[in-house]
Amino acid sequence: MYVRAVPPTDLNKNTEWFTYPGVWTTYILIVFFSWLIVLSLFGSSPGTAWTVVHLSHFFVTYLFFHWKKGTPFADDQGIYNGLTWWEQIDNGKQLTRNRKFLTVVPVVLYLIASHTTDYQNPMLFFNTLAVFVLVVAKFPNMHKVRIFGINADH
Amino acid sequence: MITIPYLTALSTYFSYGLLFAFGQFRDFFRKIFDWWHASNLQGYAPICLGLEDFYIRRLYLRIQDCFGRPISSAPDAWFDVVERYSNDNNKTLKRTDKINKCLNLGSYNYLGFAASDEYCTPRVINSLNRFSASTCSTRVDGGTTTVHKELEECVANFVGKPAAIVFGMGYVTNSAILPVLIGKGGLIISDSLNHNSIVNGARGSGATIRVFQHNTPSHLEKVLREQIAEGQPRTHRPWKKIIVVVEGIYSMEGELCKLPEIVAICKKYKAYVYLDEAHSIGAVGKSGRGVCELLGVDTADVDIMMGTFTKSFGSCGGYIAGSKELIQYLKYTCPAHLYATSISPPAAQQIISAIKVILGEDGSSRGAQKLARIRKNSNFFRSELQKMGFEVLGDNDSPVMPIMLYNPAKIPAFSRECLKQNVAVVTVAFPATPLLLARARICLSASHTKEDLLKALEVISQVGDLVGIKYFPAEPKKQQQQQQQKQGKGTIKLE
Repeated sequence: MYVRAVPPTDLNKNTEWFTYPGVWTTYILIVFFSWLIVLSLFGSSPGTAWTVVHLSHFFVTYLFFHWKKGTPFADDQGIYNGLTWWEQIDNGKQLTRNRKFLTVVPVVLYLIASHTTDYQNPMLFFNTLAVFVLVVAKFPNMHKVRIFGINADH
Repeated sequence: MITIPYLTALSTYFSYGLLFAFGQFRDFFRKIFDWWHASNLQGYAPICLGLEDFYIRRLYLRIQDCFGRPISSAPDAWFDVVERYSNDNNKTLKRTDKINKCLNLGSYNYLGFAASDEYCTPRVINSLNRFSASTCSTRVDGGTTTVHKELEECVANFVGKPAAIVFGMGYVTNSAILPVLIGKGGLIISDSLNHNSIVNGARGSGATIRVFQHNTPSHLEKVLREQIAEGQPRTHRPWKKIIVVVEGIYSMEGELCKLPEIVAICKKYKAYVYLDEAHSIGAVGKSGRGVCELLGVDTADVDIMMGTFTKSFGSCGGYIAGSKELIQYLKYTCPAHLYATSISPPAAQQIISAIKVILGEDGSSRGAQKLARIRKNSNFFRSELQKMGFEVLGDNDSPVMPIMLYNPAKIPAFSRECLKQNVAVVTVAFPATPLLLARARICLSASHTKEDLLKALEVISQVGDLVGIKYFPAEPKKQQQQQQQKQGKGTIKLE
């Protein structure tokens, strides 16, 4: 089965790969396979495995989408050095399809994790905190906002 | 248009994700180790903050032996590649004294002028004896010789414009001219796959930059209409100037630009057209005059024609051709003309002689033969590769053909396996191309003979089977079918 790869009009090589076909599927498949791996490594119940996946997903996506700034190569002479990856995608345009998808995924993961653990504490507390932080970080009003100067430029 | 199998896309993303994760782990542990050991910076700030050179350190250096291979002869159809080895897993490479004679599928040697030529080289040596290797001066101080004057006239005649100006370096031609032509308050609309020199020149000019989808005239029209209606950002005043920048042949795709439609749209909305013919001048067109001749566009419709001499003429440098007033203006303002050393006289003589050979003014028909041969070679090679099942980009008649690899692991595999069989190819990956679309780019030359091409096809087919890049079904060989039919008829007749 073939798909067409149309080059987008995004000049930022750090984020342009996200507009090609197959990214969403790969993301969902990686999350699913990591659940299987956690389940086989720790031998825990499915609910605990989903909680582990949810929390590690929170750490990884918060670090790479909302903490690390700039691009991993020097070709663009540092124009994006003050912007996180989330602020760079789609050239800063808010509420595009990609951003909506990326906002929905943590929420769906939260629902699955809480459902499979039967909404028990303490897992519920950590899961809720994680999804709250992630979703608030993705609001359009938080574009380029640095609370209390955390992670601001020098 | 690039069609990629869906499963290949998924596996490519997964591979890059894995490489990225490994790189991040190693960086994390490296930070911990460095925190334990004292640093020798003595209070100075580090040159790179961790994230900037992540790609170079963790992805590029792993396969460094596929890029930057030193050669020790002229880049003709066959050339000598120096062997290298590494003791620390490709972090540093050391040269040996051994060389391999390899088939050259990577040099931009479209008309075969890269090696010694019977008409050009004696004249270049004469010019070296007369003028010496460098003018040691800028054009305005003491660096304009008779060769420079003759070169500018020659180029203007060849390209079909009233006047031309020549610079010592092709990259600099783009990045120093665009800031002079347009400034703040102007608009540059450039194709999304334009070369880095155009992107740098546009960023340095201070004008607003908008990008239109690669080679899509309808999207160009949409962007033009939207921008003209909106005007300058924030003040909404009309734009001072609009320049649309396109390339003749895109070097990573091998595609020709849709020039007639784009010129028609620019005329309608009164925007200037800037055509970068780095790869197409001298290589396409009936008499080698580039993409305007091939597509039937009048050169008076293209306002600024830019090109380089590195590809088809076997020399160095770039030119801009346009109206007499434009060239006069550039001679007063362009920094590459006022402050940079002028092009070396032997290099200029090489270009003049190469143009004379192409036009047939040296008294032989070698120019026409070269043009016919490059066209025949390109069409033959491309159709054979496509029959084998490779995904090859590019239009007919274009001497640049990228073979799609996609997966990051196939890039070093293809490059190293081809080198083992003495075929040297150039592989290109992120960030020169989009993340998914890594490719091996083949540049043919008029000096490749039929035997060279057949050997290359055989090697590429073997390596393609080994690496697994025949993404399309191969066409069944017609000769085998015909032979089977003949044998069938023969047995029936005997019975």
